[in-house]
Amino acid sequence: MTQNTRTQKLAAGAVPAPGEADGVAGVDSALEQLWHVLTSMKLALVLMLAFAALTLVGTLVIQAPAGVMEDPQAKSQWLAGIRPRYGGWTDILDRLQVFTIFTSFWLRAIGALLAASLVACTVHRIPGTWRTVARPRIDVGPAFFEHAPQHEAMTFHRPSDDVLETTRRVFRRHGYRTLSLDDGTIHLYFDRNRWAPWSGLVAHAAIVVILAGAMVGSLWGFRDGNFMLAEGSTSAIPKVAGATITLNSFKDTYSPTNGQPLDYVSNVTVAQNGAPIATQDVRVNEPLRYQGVSFYQSFFGPAAVVTVKDAKGAIVYAGGVPLAWEATGGNKVGTFALPTQGLTAWVVATTGTDDPAIKPGQVAIELYRADTGDPVVQKSIDQGVATTIEGLTYTFEREAKFTGLSVANDPGTPIVWLGCILLVVGFAVRMYVPHRRIWGRLAARPDGGSSLAIAAVGRRDSGFDAEFTTLVTDIRQAVTAAARS
Amino acid sequence: MGKMAEYAFVAGTLSTFLALVGYVFYALSGVRAARLAAAGVPVTTGRVGFVVGPRTTSIGHYATLLGWLGFALLGASLVFRAIATGHGPFSNMYEFSIAFAFGILGAYYWFEQRYHQRVLGLLALPVALALLAYAATVPAEIEPLVPALQNNLLLTVHVATAIVAYGSFTVAFAAALLYLAQPETGRWGLPKPEVLDEIGYRAIVVGFPFLTLVIILGALWADVAWGRYWGWDPKETASLVTWFIYGAYLHARVMRGWRGRKAAILLIIGFAATLLTYFGNLFFGGLHSYSGLG
Ligand code: HEM
Repeated sequence: MTQNTRTQKLAAGAVPAPGEADGVAGVDSALEQLWHVLTSMKLALVLMLAFAALTLVGTLVIQAPAGVMEDPQAKSQWLAGIRPRYGGWTDILDRLQVFTIFTSFWLRAIGALLAASLVACTVHRIPGTWRTVARPRIDVGPAFFEHAPQHEAMTFHRPSDDVLETTRRVFRRHGYRTLSLDDGTIHLYFDRNRWAPWSGLVAHAAIVVILAGAMVGSLWGFRDGNFMLAEGSTSAIPKVAGATITLNSFKDTYSPTNGQPLDYVSNVTVAQNGAPIATQDVRVNEPLRYQGVSFYQSFFGPAAVVTVKDAKGAIVYAGGVPLAWEATGGNKVGTFALPTQGLTAWVVATTGTDDPAIKPGQVAIELYRADTGDPVVQKSIDQGVATTIEGLTYTFEREAKFTGLSVANDPGTPIVWLGCILLVVGFAVRMYVPHRRIWGRLAARPDGGSSLAIAAVGRRDSGFDAEFTTLVTDIRQAVTAAARS
Repeated sequence: MGKMAEYAFVAGTLSTFLALVGYVFYALSGVRAARLAAAGVPVTTGRVGFVVGPRTTSIGHYATLLGWLGFALLGASLVFRAIATGHGPFSNMYEFSIAFAFGILGAYYWFEQRYHQRVLGLLALPVALALLAYAATVPAEIEPLVPALQNNLLLTVHVATAIVAYGSFTVAFAAALLYLAQPETGRWGLPKPEVLDEIGYRAIVVGFPFLTLVIILGALWADVAWGRYWGWDPKETASLVTWFIYGAYLHARVMRGWRGRKAAILLIIGFAATLLTYFGNLFFGGLHSYSGLG
């Protein structure tokens, strides 16, 4: 009857498969078996601990950055970097997907099993919960009133209808609903917070909702953590036709005392088909949202504003080049394409002063064939001086800044938040609003009096013990008071 | 205000320490009572679950008062500090450690009030004191907030809920230790195993929904700041590990073969995971590296 015994039945039910007893072998009984396994609490417990153990590994063992493992060259480089730390284990751990544990087969398999188990458990518990709530058993045998964890027998010198009336009143005053059944003996059932048992189911279902939201996000969402924009540059907004974003300015400020960053702000303008829609500051904690796409302040760095013209003076390229990468030796480098020439240009700026090839105030332009990657030429140019390289004139106009934004569109997020709300509310109600149930048995005595027994199967819970005691005292007092009046 | 916060912190720590000394004497008087009982001197046993012997209850009473005082002083310290910094106690390990200790004392006294098991204080208070001692060793300067932390309301609530969760997990840990320290039938002078089991369970019942909320608020913050609600950041992951362990405990407690000792062991593992989550940013790195120790 109680949550406890119901759970025990669940666990015990895993042993015999009813299908087999009927002689119905095959698919039905296999499904039956599967259902029993999925609804077993033991499986749930083992899966939860396994999930915890796997993710714990992910916090203790270094994880490969996103994308590295798909690129064979980057992968071997990365593995070489950690080999000193993990030695001969490196390859074994790699084969076991330990360095990518959060996207590993193991975690996905356990997650899927957990989801299946959650669905099975939730569905499995619906009929029982429905019965407990809507059609509780009212007549329980007399033995119950002697063996239940909380029980009390009372005798009164008042007729049973009197006692019934008073008892009902007391329970109602304590917020209980009262049900009764008369078959010579009056069977009583009182309960409080009778909708509360649903909350546990809601909370378990909520976990499935969250997983579903995460799935939607990973199937239909997108994310670019490396969306770079130099001051004065404009770029198309991914997934929104005709929309552009322009970085007007970027500002970073630091604490004068310890040099910690205090604030970094990108001032951007969003335009649709060339018409400006909005101008906004984007900072950490203050994203820009447009048509379901969000821009988050992520990182920043220096940029070089470069103009490239052909022999007739027509502009081939003009804009800020984010110097977002670092070359060996610490030089900051960035790149842009010259598609009509079939070239890729790299811009190299020094951070130090002792680079023999690039003097302060200069940048180096390195040109490569776009198709083969073969180097073509390399030349340092002065700021503000148009310099001709391979038939084009390059001008390093000035230094600027670039902002690195995270661009994301995750249609699963609202589903995840819905699941989160259900989860918190579900668990909070399940734990702070207990379903209280008390049974009673009222019989007339030959001497014209009556005897009332009440009993309950509270979980080990001193709060309920106290409530039970109070109820007993109140009933006694109320009956006595009614007798006096 | 910053100075006031310092004074209140020192006074609160001292008061908590004296409370612990009081609990030690209280427990020792219990041992003496056990010896008297063994020698045949009559010993009273109270209502179900409560063991009342001829302990020097007045010592226990004073210890409780001192502990309450420590709780109040640490609370005052947090308030002064919040006024001085203009934000909740989340910008470095100093602030957060005091808040954690405050949470432990709060949770402990909530349970002492209901269950009258002062022996638990013998285990819970040292955890709080260790955190206070740790707070005393880390930099306490008030620094401006790094951009990621400039979301006052969300972070204050995030940390406030974390304190409730961590505080109650500490009480559950203390109860589980005492549970495991005695045979199934109990040992005189210690709270009864059933009572400890109930305290442990109640503490998780209080803490688990709060931990759920902590994780969700963290996800909300990550979504606002970085545009993704979950990124397997080590601190996020550690909190999820903790959540799963306590979730497993809640199931274990209603399963045959798992309730009792095994469930108590899960509480100990859960607390280890809590500490890992708490101190994690010191050695994990990641987005939560706000410790101010780098
Ligand atoms: C991520 C996975 C899960 C989490 C976090 C979780 C969490 C919880 C929590 C917090 C409770 C409330 C316990 C209490 O109030 O004492 C509970 C109860 C319960 N859970 Fe789960 N659960 C999970 C998965 C499952 C699965 C897969 C099953 C299916 C076997 C299951 C079956 C149950 C049952 C039958 C109860 C009722 C026990 C009772 O009412 O005392 N749970 N769960």
